[in-house]
Amino acid sequence: MKKFLTILGIILTFFIIYFLQANFFTWFTIAGVMPNLFIILVIFIGLFIGKKSGLVFGLLFGIYLDLLIGKSIGISGIMLGLIGLLSEYIDKNFSKDSRLIIMLIVAVSTAIYEIGIYAFQIIRWKAMLEILPFLKILGIEVFFNVILVIIIYPIFQKIGYMVENLFKTKQFLTRYF
Amino acid sequence: MYKNRKTGIIGVIITIVILILVVILSNTDIKEISYLENIFNSIVMPIQNGLTYLKNKIAGNDSFFVEMDTLKAENEDLKKKNSELEQSLRELEIIKSENDTLKEYVNLKDKYPEYQTIPAYIINRDINNYTKTIVINIGEKDGIKPDMAVIADQGLVGHVISTTENTAKVQTIIDTSTSISSLISTSREAIVVNGTLEDNSTLRATYIPTDATLLENDNIETSGLGGIYPKGIHIGTIKQIVNTKNSIDRYAYIQTAVDFEKLETVLVITNEKEE
Repeated sequence: MKKFLTILGIILTFFIIYFLQANFFTWFTIAGVMPNLFIILVIFIGLFIGKKSGLVFGLLFGIYLDLLIGKSIGISGIMLGLIGLLSEYIDKNFSKDSRLIIMLIVAVSTAIYEIGIYAFQIIRWKAMLEILPFLKILGIEVFFNVILVIIIYPIFQKIGYMVENLFKTKQFLTRYF
Repeated sequence: MYKNRKTGIIGVIITIVILILVVILSNTDIKEISYLENIFNSIVMPIQNGLTYLKNKIAGNDSFFVEMDTLKAENEDLKKKNSELEQSLRELEIIKSENDTLKEYVNLKDKYPEYQTIPAYIINRDINNYTKTIVINIGEKDGIKPDMAVIADQGLVGHVISTTENTAKVQTIIDTSTSISSLISTSREAIVVNGTLEDNSTLRATYIPTDATLLENDNIETSGLGGIYPKGIHIGTIKQIVNTKNSIDRYAYIQTAVDFEKLETVLVITNEKEE
């Protein structure tokens, strides 16, 4: 029952983030650049729930986003799924207790996700390659996501360990490394 | 979790404050923060005035300061008149904006009498920084099909890429994957206009003929080639021409006619009216 409620909570969080991104963050921007909270959510799932749930939730959330507003179905799903999978592997090798590590994971994941999305734009939709404007937007987005992680880190970690105790029976002792 | 919980909370609060400051400063036009300019001026100006007074005294041209009192009184009077005028201007601006909104909602169709159009509202915008699509509140049920052109009061918005029963996704002209065959309205030279990542009101004109005469503020309109956009729809005006070593590679930045930040109402062209 608790597991079911947690999954329901994650889905609810996804919709809250969606409405935040579509309304609040369309004007609360840094130089017109929005953050990407979906990446943080998928990292959270990958790190604390594991068992390939990061991949599954990432795929489903991404496909849903593509259906809602995307130009083609699948790329956001693939990239978010990849981020989910990546954070599960990171969980096995790094400590989640360090705020710095979480900030680094979010920064690298945001960069991977957006490079993937932009590369797809160029390959599939023949978009013009604009390296400097892209790097500028990417830099601001990474900075924005990292700042948001610093703010939500206490809640991120507290809820994270509660969820981890529910889902992960065999505890890895990576947090003591 | 924290060695010192209080320090952690203070850290989070400081980060929130910094984030809000960064957001405000990065999105504020320098003209809008003239009050800051006033504060900085009030720190420096009294000293600067004193120094100027001294300099004039030494140079012997202090007659300027004799009329200071008269000028001050005149200035006060003008300030009062100015604030009265500003008040009336504000009232007029409110009336103008009401008028604009009404015109947009009621007479949008009259601007493009040669096309059969359906009005629509934007209900969703892209949540990605690299793509610029919008969702409108009409779909298959209203006869909307992919590849139909979408316009607004000021000019071209984009084209429909997919539809559901009640909604349609529109790829805007500022999306980086948009390419439009266009014409310079004065010289009738053909160019290609692309969306860019620069900002939400800039397009890039490429494939400019080497002998074409390009001038800033020239209007750009659709050429009608390509089968999606009808001919003669206003796209924007040339704001900057960038000349390269090789004249084949030269390009220009175009200011879009439509303000995509404030866009709320659009028209979907279903077909051209028969004469």
